[in-house]
Amino acid sequence: MSERPSILGEPIRFVLNWGRRYSLWVFNFGLACCAIEFIATSMGRHDFIRLGVIPFAHGPRQADLMVVSGTVTDKMAPAIKRLYDQMPEPKYVISFGACSNCGGPYWDSYSVTKGVDQLIPVDVYVPGCPPRPEALLHGILRLQERIAAEQSGPGGVSRPDPVVAAREAELAALTAPPVRPPFPAEPVLPEGVVWHRDRPSSAPVLGPGGRLPVNELSADRAGAGSPFGDDETLPLPLDRISYQRPSSGPE
Amino acid sequence: MTREVVVGTGTGLDTADMVLNIGPQHPSTHGVLRLKLVLDGERVISCEPIIGYMHRGAEKLFEVRDYRQIIVLANRHDWLSAFANELGVALAVERLMGIEVPERAVWLRTALAELNRVLNHLMFLGSYPLEIGAITPVFYAFRERETLQTIMEEVSGGRMHYMFNRVGGLKEEVPAGWTRRARAAIGEVRRRLPDLDNLIRRNEIFLARTVGVGVLTAEQAAAYGASGPVARASGLDFDLRRDEPYLAYGSLSVPVVTRQEGDCHARFECLLDQVFVSLDLAETCLERVDQISGPVNVRLPKVVKAPEGHTYAWTENPLGINGYYLVSRGEKTPWRMKLRTASYANVQALSTLLPGCLVPDLIAILGSMFFVVGDIDK
Amino acid sequence: MDGIPGKGLVKGLAVTAKTMAHRAHTRQYPDVEPDLPPRSRGVIALFEENCTVCMLCARECPDWCIYIDSHKEEVVVPGAARARQRNVLDRFAIDFSLCMYCGICIEACPFDALYWSPEFEYAEYDIRDLLHEKDRLREWMWTVPPPPAHDPMGEPAKEESTAARRAAR
Repeated sequence: MSERPSILGEPIRFVLNWGRRYSLWVFNFGLACCAIEFIATSMGRHDFIRLGVIPFAHGPRQADLMVVSGTVTDKMAPAIKRLYDQMPEPKYVISFGACSNCGGPYWDSYSVTKGVDQLIPVDVYVPGCPPRPEALLHGILRLQERIAAEQSGPGGVSRPDPVVAAREAELAALTAPPVRPPFPAEPVLPEGVVWHRDRPSSAPVLGPGGRLPVNELSADRAGAGSPFGDDETLPLPLDRISYQRPSSGPE
Repeated sequence: MTREVVVGTGTGLDTADMVLNIGPQHPSTHGVLRLKLVLDGERVISCEPIIGYMHRGAEKLFEVRDYRQIIVLANRHDWLSAFANELGVALAVERLMGIEVPERAVWLRTALAELNRVLNHLMFLGSYPLEIGAITPVFYAFRERETLQTIMEEVSGGRMHYMFNRVGGLKEEVPAGWTRRARAAIGEVRRRLPDLDNLIRRNEIFLARTVGVGVLTAEQAAAYGASGPVARASGLDFDLRRDEPYLAYGSLSVPVVTRQEGDCHARFECLLDQVFVSLDLAETCLERVDQISGPVNVRLPKVVKAPEGHTYAWTENPLGINGYYLVSRGEKTPWRMKLRTASYANVQALSTLLPGCLVPDLIAILGSMFFVVGDIDK
Repeated sequence: MDGIPGKGLVKGLAVTAKTMAHRAHTRQYPDVEPDLPPRSRGVIALFEENCTVCMLCARECPDWCIYIDSHKEEVVVPGAARARQRNVLDRFAIDFSLCMYCGICIEACPFDALYWSPEFEYAEYDIRDLLHEKDRLREWMWTVPPPPAHDPMGEPAKEESTAARRAAR
């Protein structure tokens, strides 16, 4: 995506944006009820072809606009991401309906992705359940206004990939060095209790980059490591376990 | 995958079966149904429908919604016939609570249910020829849908998810003059339907692609629990509206449309003829509504609690028989609301219908099963 | 095959020719605004003066998309034994990205503070803008249409029956 000097670039930018916004080939991505209203918008009463949006793209590779209409389930999510990646730049996404905006009526469901913007960057959110066809037309008009104001060259506006961004943010949050309250240097252990191995020092050993070395995301295994150490086999032999009952009662 | 070595005309040709995925996103699938096909060239050897791409956990969510809020969710599993879904849920709760619905509400519900049936069928009447390749009928079908959706919007406020049923009747009274406008709309649709009929029913290309294709015998339909127009086209003459009447169907004479051939064309014709029947029924119900006066709902307590127990209510949804099994423990929310959906049973028949047919026939058969993926996956 | 071969195709083409001779039924939105019925569920409007912060709408909402903050104020009424407590609404927000337009909040409100409005033109670029605060919800109030009269064969609307009872007193 090259930036042209604005003195020459303004007419080119205008022509590019004009062409992009008035010839959007829409990828029929109908998932659920909102797809019916999407189809109704493409039909005779509320024709969206007269706005420049052309229906029945043959596939993601020939599409400019993806209207995600309907609930995005976790099972369907990889397919959506893959189809979005298959679309060539410049591409735009309209999230149509409450389910694809943020999960909608299924906000507390175990199998629904709460919003398609967790997977792909969205340009316009059309609210409704389902939104009226005229609301989709209005959403398309707002998208066209947004495209008209774009400042980009031939490649289109690049948007951050939400999946990658979310994963990086999560990893950063989880591997940040912990802020520890001021503990005493040596803990006071009750009488007779002996740790079976050296007690780790109060400061954690940081890995490369000043971050904690292991967490679930960056570990090579699923699940936390063992508190007994990763090279231990369980059950531990009895003489290695030193546990003394704190009170002397009847045996 | 079998390897078949065909030796002919001097050269040895290795063939292998191909596994092809249709879907989950595909212009020809009604939503996100995935078919895993094993193909030998263009012929389907075996087919496995893989569902679950629209599973939203509605039945689990029912457990934490009260009896007014479950109607919101129940709307959305068969999204083309939302009123019929709401109705089934409301009937199940009313049966458990022993509520007697006022007569005016019963007749209004019947009228709206039949209008919803017309809307549902019109959608398939439009989209099935679209999959076959006939693009024109869908515009006509949606024109009729828009006329009827204006009526439904005037009474309930929503074009697709009406939220108009409540436990004990309807949410509120219909606007003044609505029945007159509804009858006018029905007349308009009935006047324009022959356009759709002439376009597609006797079209030679459509006949060539659908007659004799995908024959589902009555035994197979019964074995799979198929119901609705899909089963009635195979000769399985079972219609809940006539055989186990609910709502006002007991006082109406419901002509049931059946065919014997069981092929795609028979299923399509069943749908088309049912539209005419439903329009007549809706008009009769609306005329009846104009003669009955009274409330449209009962006075419910502030917190609706169904008594302990369980009940099963089934309705003739446009796509087939939908059953609602409600288990209550006397709380504000149902303990379990299990849905038996028509599309789930209908789609099972695909694994016997599809093997042996060619890929273009597969598209014809898939479209003719008339399912809604939300109904399959809930 | 009944009749002449090709009859079905000819009939279909005749339908298309007939439709071609008629005007298209396209509604030219955005030049022509759609004709929406008064009950149409477009957006929810709040009439703050009627709200007593009973929180019934937030509790009944199946989506939990209504956010309400309030505090209690004391109002000194001259001549009364003690000061009255009054609920003051600090924040009332509806998240329209979550809202599923079921209408339960409007039905549940006992004080007629929430209304349906047929407006639908509020698509946004950022999903956070779909959270409408009190002021924006009040703006929607000016677009709320009067409700339609009920069918004379049915029961009159609650407002009508209450007004009739008041007038009779």
